[in-house]
Amino acid sequence: MKIFNLRKQMGDFCLQIDRMELAPGVVHGLVGSNGCGKSTLSKLIMGILTPDGGRIDYEGLTPRDLTMTSQKPYLLHDTVYQNLIYPLKVRGIRPDEAEADAWLARCGLEGKKNQYARSLSSGEQQKLSFIRALIFHPSFIIVDETMSNLDPDSTELFEEMILEQQRIRPVTWLIISHQLIHIRRLCGCVHFMEKGRQIAQGTPEEILLYPQHPAIRSFLASTEVFYRDPEAPGAGKAAAGREEEPERPAGNGRDGER
Amino acid sequence: MEGFHQIFSEFFGTVGVVDSIRVTLIMSFFSTLIASALGIFLGLLLEKRQFPGKRAVIRVNRTLMGAPPVVIGLLAYMLLRKKGPLGDLRWVFTIQGMVFAQVLIITPIICGMVYSYAVRTAPAIRAFARTMGADARQTGWLLLREMKQELYFAVVSGYGRSISEVGAVFLVGGNIKNNTRTMTTAISTLKGAGDYYEGVFLGVILMIMAFTVQTLADHFRKEGGDENL
Repeated sequence: MKIFNLRKQMGDFCLQIDRMELAPGVVHGLVGSNGCGKSTLSKLIMGILTPDGGRIDYEGLTPRDLTMTSQKPYLLHDTVYQNLIYPLKVRGIRPDEAEADAWLARCGLEGKKNQYARSLSSGEQQKLSFIRALIFHPSFIIVDETMSNLDPDSTELFEEMILEQQRIRPVTWLIISHQLIHIRRLCGCVHFMEKGRQIAQGTPEEILLYPQHPAIRSFLASTEVFYRDPEAPGAGKAAAGREEEPERPAGNGRDGER
Repeated sequence: MEGFHQIFSEFFGTVGVVDSIRVTLIMSFFSTLIASALGIFLGLLLEKRQFPGKRAVIRVNRTLMGAPPVVIGLLAYMLLRKKGPLGDLRWVFTIQGMVFAQVLIITPIICGMVYSYAVRTAPAIRAFARTMGADARQTGWLLLREMKQELYFAVVSGYGRSISEVGAVFLVGGNIKNNTRTMTTAISTLKGAGDYYEGVFLGVILMIMAFTVQTLADHFRKEGGDENL
């Protein structure tokens, strides 16, 4: 997917992406401070918002190949099962109940299949929303802060599912998160946004360990980053108390790692 | 027993109770049906579309929501009378004319209620539908399905207004016995004649009808998954 001169004015805020490329089959991370336009960009990609100018080249992808999950997912006024199979119904695909059960079991929701979806806890709702995005095998998935406020086990589960998906059938992911730990673990490419613009794009090392742009250094300094190299240019107080860098799992679309 | 039967027959015959029930049911059913279709469509359209003068349209609709029915009835009569723009329809003093007047009264109520609900919920539903790959038809259906609770209240409010209305149906229908007399205009006629007990009796029937319709609607909602019933 390629984005050219994309522009969206919303009150005083203006999103302006001169050029952004989201290589297929790669897990992309979208990072930036609050209000920098990450969610606006994701809504423009999804077609929820209409751009004022520029264009997005979907390179053959149709709206049915794209999906998005968010921190506060919309759940239908229906059961957990009906929520899960909704994207299949939209596509005229007959749901495979055994497969649906397997997805639910994976997230620990097997006993809640017939429960009213909105009565689930917020973490469970996020899990349901996440597997609902995966069940119809889309080609492009946007994860907008879905992993925020989850317990460590759930976060690990999400990461496992993303990496497993990439091993079985690589798709393009755009993960929006303030938790840079996820970005480093999962992403093959990181896009950094500031005030509505993409100011840097590169590998997680380039963006998060050796940032060149002052805005990124400032952002990292104000963010709790455990994996920064204290020797790296721009490393500041955030590097203090860092832990050992974990072994990075395979399958995130980085060169030589897939 | 025979005496009771005689009183009952006389009463039914005097004001045309059976026919007034029939007319009330026909009029309230069709006016609610037509106004619901129009009101839901216009309410959702008003929420979705941006156009110059939208605020003014919303304000006018809110004004119509509280407009005195007798004024709307007069307007309907002026439109439908022989020399009026819709005179060729020959709907004055007919059930069709009463339905027409009721639709003018109820549609802004349903439209306004649906618009208020849609402003709060429809954008999220549309965005969700987009992320699920739903097309325009599926999104429209999803909106109706997800807002069914709110739509239900709007329709029931419209029905309540329709079944309880007197002024407009009096003006347009003419309160003709066995023809355009509704239960509410019959009650008004009975009161005029000093027959208060009969009026109360009809009022009780009216309440039973409202309760029955409400129970049926609740049953429908329960089947639709509403656990609060």
